[in-house]
Amino acid sequence: MSQLVTPRRATRSSTADPVSPNSPSGSRPKSTPRRQPVPTAAAKEEEGEHERSTVDALLEALPGRRAQATDLLRLLAPAPALPLLLHGGAATGKTRALLLALRHVRPRPRRVAYAALRSLPSPRALFASLLTQLSPPSSSSSSRLRIPDKPSDFVAALRDALAGLSAQGEAMYLVFDNLEVVRSWDKGGQLLALLLRLYDLLRLPQVVLVYVSSATPDAYYSMTGSVEPNHIYFPDYTVDEVRDILMRGHPNPKLYSSFLSVALKPLFRVTRRVDELVAALEPLFRRYCEPLGDLKAVPDESIKRRLFEHIQPHLAVALNETFSVPTRTSVDECKDRSSGGKASSKRRFGSRDDLLTELEFHMSVSAKYLLLSAFLASRNPATLDAALFDSTGGSDNHRRKRKSSQASMNMKDTMAEEMLLKGPGTFPLERLLAIFQCITSVSEDYLGDVECPDSMMNGSGMTGLMSDVLLQLSTLCNSNFLSKSRSCPLEGSARYRSNIDEDLALKVARSVSFPSLKYIYRR
Amino acid sequence: MVAAVSVPSQAQTVLRGRLCDPAFVHSALRSSPDTNYSKLKYLVASSVSEACNNSVLLLGPRGCGKAAVVDMVLDDLRKEHPDAISVIRLNGMLHNDDNCAMKEIARQLCLEHQLSFSKMASSDDNTEFMIDMLRECGLAHKTILFVLEEFDLFAQGKQRLLYSLLDAMQSLTSQAVVIGVSCRLDADQLLEKRVRSRFSHRKLLFISPSLDDIQLLVEHLLILAKDSGLPAKYITDYNSRLTSIFSDKKFKGCLNSLMDADATTSNILRFLFRAVSYMDVESGFPSIESFLKALSSMQRQPKMDSLQDLSILELYILVCMHRLEDKEQSSYNFTSIMKEYRSIQDAYKTSDKYASTVCFRAFEHLLDRELISFGDNRGRNQALEYRPVKLLISSRELAQSLKLNTTCPVVLQKLFDRERYM
Repeated sequence: MSQLVTPRRATRSSTADPVSPNSPSGSRPKSTPRRQPVPTAAAKEEEGEHERSTVDALLEALPGRRAQATDLLRLLAPAPALPLLLHGGAATGKTRALLLALRHVRPRPRRVAYAALRSLPSPRALFASLLTQLSPPSSSSSSRLRIPDKPSDFVAALRDALAGLSAQGEAMYLVFDNLEVVRSWDKGGQLLALLLRLYDLLRLPQVVLVYVSSATPDAYYSMTGSVEPNHIYFPDYTVDEVRDILMRGHPNPKLYSSFLSVALKPLFRVTRRVDELVAALEPLFRRYCEPLGDLKAVPDESIKRRLFEHIQPHLAVALNETFSVPTRTSVDECKDRSSGGKASSKRRFGSRDDLLTELEFHMSVSAKYLLLSAFLASRNPATLDAALFDSTGGSDNHRRKRKSSQASMNMKDTMAEEMLLKGPGTFPLERLLAIFQCITSVSEDYLGDVECPDSMMNGSGMTGLMSDVLLQLSTLCNSNFLSKSRSCPLEGSARYRSNIDEDLALKVARSVSFPSLKYIYRR
Repeated sequence: MVAAVSVPSQAQTVLRGRLCDPAFVHSALRSSPDTNYSKLKYLVASSVSEACNNSVLLLGPRGCGKAAVVDMVLDDLRKEHPDAISVIRLNGMLHNDDNCAMKEIARQLCLEHQLSFSKMASSDDNTEFMIDMLRECGLAHKTILFVLEEFDLFAQGKQRLLYSLLDAMQSLTSQAVVIGVSCRLDADQLLEKRVRSRFSHRKLLFISPSLDDIQLLVEHLLILAKDSGLPAKYITDYNSRLTSIFSDKKFKGCLNSLMDADATTSNILRFLFRAVSYMDVESGFPSIESFLKALSSMQRQPKMDSLQDLSILELYILVCMHRLEDKEQSSYNFTSIMKEYRSIQDAYKTSDKYASTVCFRAFEHLLDRELISFGDNRGRNQALEYRPVKLLISSRELAQSLKLNTTCPVVLQKLFDRERYM
């Protein structure tokens, strides 16, 4: 996944300076860095071609976006223009299309000020960012620029800065990216109303406002009466468009297209976002090419069939993962892949269950027991503790065998539903420690034949596990396995809640050979 | 080398400039009598010439040209009485804090009269300054015009600014006119008793234009006059084509459907702007297709568009939520959705059975697109899987999107329909 380093967004300096032809391509291209951005188009620009090749150059750089690109070029220039709102899902190329279009638009804009609202923490930072970009380059120190606090001062300062710049009559573009994050800011509603009415407040015909948002326009209807902007919608890419995007500039198109014809459609059923697809397809492609000695080979039918059979189990696994974390077991598996690894891999990939048999990370034994006790404390109602954790340390199975009547079965059904709805329950610290002591005293009997090389553990037994239990508790809280919830209003003691699901708890239990099934309360 | 700008692009520039210029848009009002423009102009001009105080409210829905009319009147007055007026503009959205408003008034007064403005002055100082300036200007026979936009926002809170302003106007020496612009038709009811008693209850009501007015407006905006700086032959061709489009039934239908949704001037301007931008520069003349295309791009339904962009797994989750709602479960969360999903997969054995983490990622995508949302406001206390969620789309929209989706598996459609007949 580290290969998918998204190339750096166009920084303010590169977007504010539209005359440099070789500035890096716009932000967040869908492709990995090896694809060529727009050097050929940039070279053509300098010759002053007419509109048709401008559109073509833009379309070349934006696959599958013909309608949106033409709309952008027509609506953005020449000034004056009504404000524009680009909306669409995430990773649909809105920012990139806009910045490329601004570079291709005729006549050349005087200045483009870009406010990346996602990276600005507060309204004041937004004001600072815009005013710094619009201030004339002759002003040496930014400390002389007083950053306004109030919106009214900001509008006045903005008007002054823009009026100073637009003396020549060329257009200036203000771009607000990720407008939807303003809704969650402190006093965001006011600021959003201000930004959307900026066209009215500024009354400068040479300034064009462009908003980019991944929320739909009906999120911005408010009573403050903004000048409603022109909308351009960016739909998600279809399968064919994604295939075109991924195929661009690949060194071995035939191999890659045969791979995509196998792998793309199933992954497309899960998610349509191009960045997630690329992240999933990269490691799969590496696996696909493994049987091939030479990456430049052009496959024929028999090779394709062989590769297909090779990739099939890995594809099934990839469909059930959101991202793959290379673990030690998988690395070892790669090493002894050629030797006897195939049998184990088949066992591993055989079922589509998401329950892998091993825990993928390491925890100390006391932490594991603490986690288990937290899970049991959250899962079981407190009234069952006496029954489950009696002095013999085991649960009394005789109680379970009582014949259940219809009414009690209905009640159990509703309790199961409630448990689904409410989620894990909270428990006080004392209960957690009590269960922990119980469990560890039980498992001491089982620990006799545990292959633990640590002699201190065998010697001190239970005290070894109990010594740093409070430290372990705070570690688990910090790693979000437990969370602290509101303290009880009557007693004032802290209450905790476990955040792990049953699969992880069972994995942890299996790794310490703890008979968890006896203790988990089921319907 | 600069390529020669072709005549159609020049025409396009001229038209776009017109559409973005409110003074041009409403300039037809200057000629017709008995409009709000003429009434306002008469009112303000008479106050200026007779040296008396006055106040007026302009009320009307958004986008009906109130601010444009005020600007036109002010422009006219500046031409007629160049030295006799000074204008102070305040906006309720920006200056709703009284101190801030006072500071802004003082700043603008200083700017107009070339005095130096001190940012450190307190609010009382600013108020005193304003009263003094009013008196001075009154003695010099200069009228100060206060334009208060978003007037209803000034009427929130204590209304200190309004009171001091209207009170200052009561003295003999001052000459001021207060023009309030608001979209709330009951803006004067919001005033306190003492403020209202000082306010002359003059109101000018703006209404959305009728269909005939819109027709006239469109012609006024798009027909090129002889002196537009373009070759005469092009102008005549262009105008003839345009008139033939205007008489086309499809165009009338276009305008009707536009007016059904939103009949304000700003909506019409947006539509015309888009149509002009879509004008084909090669042929150089407008066509009915550009108008129809502009209309269709303005009439998109964002939620239906988002629904078409979903992956199959996300559609499954939506259908599961819909089934849960049909089963009259009042609140449900991600774990109950997963339970429903697994029961469907066990019953139908489809190929779309995915792990819980993958489903959760699809769930988060749906949250990002705002097709579903959390039902509580509690925020951080619970894990996301346990917070109650609800659908933000109606079942009709979901049904329609399933039909329109070509890659939707048949079993999904069946699952959705089946519950209707149970």
